[in-house]
Amino acid sequence: MTAVIETRSLSKWYGNVLGLSDVSLSIEPGVIGLLGPNGAGKSTFLKLITGQLKPSIGGARVFGQIIWNNPKLFSRIGFCPEADAFFEDLTGWEFLVNLLRLHGFSGAEAKRRSERTLEIVELVKDKDRLIRAYSRGMRQRLKFAQAIAHDPEVIILDEPMSGLDPLGKRKFIRLIRDYRGEGRTIIVSSHVLPEIEALTKNIILIHQGKILATGDIHDVRELIERHPHIISLRVSDRRRLAGRLVKEDFILDVRFEKRPDTLVIETRQRDKFFSLLPALVLEEQIEVEEITSPDDNLQAVFDYLVGK
Amino acid sequence: MGIREKGYEHWDGTLMEHRHPWWPITRLGIKLAFRKKSFKFVFAGAFLPAFVFLAGVYVSERIEDFQNMFHSSSSQKFFEVNPAFFRTYFSNDSLLFLMIMIMVFAGAGLIADDLKFNSLQIYFSRPIGKKDYVLGKCAVLLFFLLLLTVVPGLLFIIFKMVFAGSFRFILDYPWLPLSILGYSAFLSIFITLYTLLLSSLNRNRRYVSILIFAVYIFSEILYGIFYERFREQYFSLLSIKSNLQQIAAFFFRVRSPFRVPVVYSFLILTAICLISVAVMRKKIRSVDVIK
Repeated sequence: MTAVIETRSLSKWYGNVLGLSDVSLSIEPGVIGLLGPNGAGKSTFLKLITGQLKPSIGGARVFGQIIWNNPKLFSRIGFCPEADAFFEDLTGWEFLVNLLRLHGFSGAEAKRRSERTLEIVELVKDKDRLIRAYSRGMRQRLKFAQAIAHDPEVIILDEPMSGLDPLGKRKFIRLIRDYRGEGRTIIVSSHVLPEIEALTKNIILIHQGKILATGDIHDVRELIERHPHIISLRVSDRRRLAGRLVKEDFILDVRFEKRPDTLVIETRQRDKFFSLLPALVLEEQIEVEEITSPDDNLQAVFDYLVGK
Repeated sequence: MGIREKGYEHWDGTLMEHRHPWWPITRLGIKLAFRKKSFKFVFAGAFLPAFVFLAGVYVSERIEDFQNMFHSSSSQKFFEVNPAFFRTYFSNDSLLFLMIMIMVFAGAGLIADDLKFNSLQIYFSRPIGKKDYVLGKCAVLLFFLLLLTVVPGLLFIIFKMVFAGSFRFILDYPWLPLSILGYSAFLSIFITLYTLLLSSLNRNRRYVSILIFAVYIFSEILYGIFYERFREQYFSLLSIKSNLQQIAAFFFRVRSPFRVPVVYSFLILTAICLISVAVMRKKIRSVDVIK
């Protein structure tokens, strides 16, 4: 068993400007979010692992093969670039059919696949319109369509939701979620945290060309010892529960929110808290309406790791 | 929900081999060219010299019937079908001008549009290499140019024999088909690479169109200016058209129009082709790297 994508000391300089520095990673199937601010090196990383750029140092392997200068491997990869990259004089339908022909599909097969993919991205009605007349949302969906039309095992989406309105984003998230099954590897980059959060809990945090952290959002969270977890509880008797919790040494802080039924606690041992909580609420006969972690999101992790 | 083991099992399938990965690019380029009304008009017009020369082939075999049309021996000489006739067809001003116009309409945007719309990264995320891309683009232009050169050239020979009712012509000039193929290939490759060189230099199709036309015309004007001033035929080397005419004379074994060694013309045009290849190697890449 090997990882789908592996990088070893992957580095890229643009002249004197560092694009990516010494990245060694193994990426396994599933949806992975590549998160970082603008200019962090996300696009550089994606271009390197899709063979669009030559590494300055190190290398990237996809399915165990070196990706650079290996166009045959591109049959198994779908890449959706950040910037618009269309043949504007074509219709959406022609665009897809022609790209599928480049993969070596016959005319009939290319048409069949185009039809199916346009159905997936809900562009069938507009397939005969010129791409230059497409709206931003339609363009993004078409870009996604060209990345999935040849049924690749690895799909790489560089900022796929940039420029979309909230409704468009929701549609797009649903689209990727529907597509993530079947053991595929999907890498989605974004600088907008809720976008990634809506798609996956597996993240790679990147900043200034370096990988800051990788793994499950909760695993990453564990790394931040000095940054306690904040957990909010809506319960029937918050005073009684608070009284029990303050006795525990792993609870750092307990406070009441303005809302009469809400209690907020801080702890560094999140798992310990969650294993204790059921026993407590049973013993005290307290009804729990809601448990949330207001800061258990990518923003908190990211801000902490980059030292904000 | 099924539990999936994380990791990748080595794939046992075979990667799809595409015998001619450049062909879809060529097909698309030809299709897009024919969508332009202006192109269709120019392309159809470019066959006009071929029809005139074909008529010439017919007249050459019915010279007695058209005797009243010829008032001098020189006009009668014009209708003699020999290697000079072919040289005249292949290097006449109108045909070269129409070829350049075809390049303006069909070739200017071939690479410029891909640069403008960032389409190169879409191409290069498919299983095709840079060579396939360039070959695909070249084939679009070669298709149009060879239709205007090889096809009429060979048809002239065939019709000459049909109208004459004998193989005498081909027996007199057995090397002529090879000359037609050789010069057509040289001319088409040169014009193709000249066009793609300019198309890869700019993202604006209109600007490239002007460049294709202007460089060709300007080289001719430059030669005219220098020749008028110095009366030196070596200045014909500055002109694209004159260089092509020199090489046409070489291929069809007729006297050169300029008293300049043909090898110079060959070297100049080959150098332009090599520059074109070098520029395309540099300019055509998936990602535009800004340093």
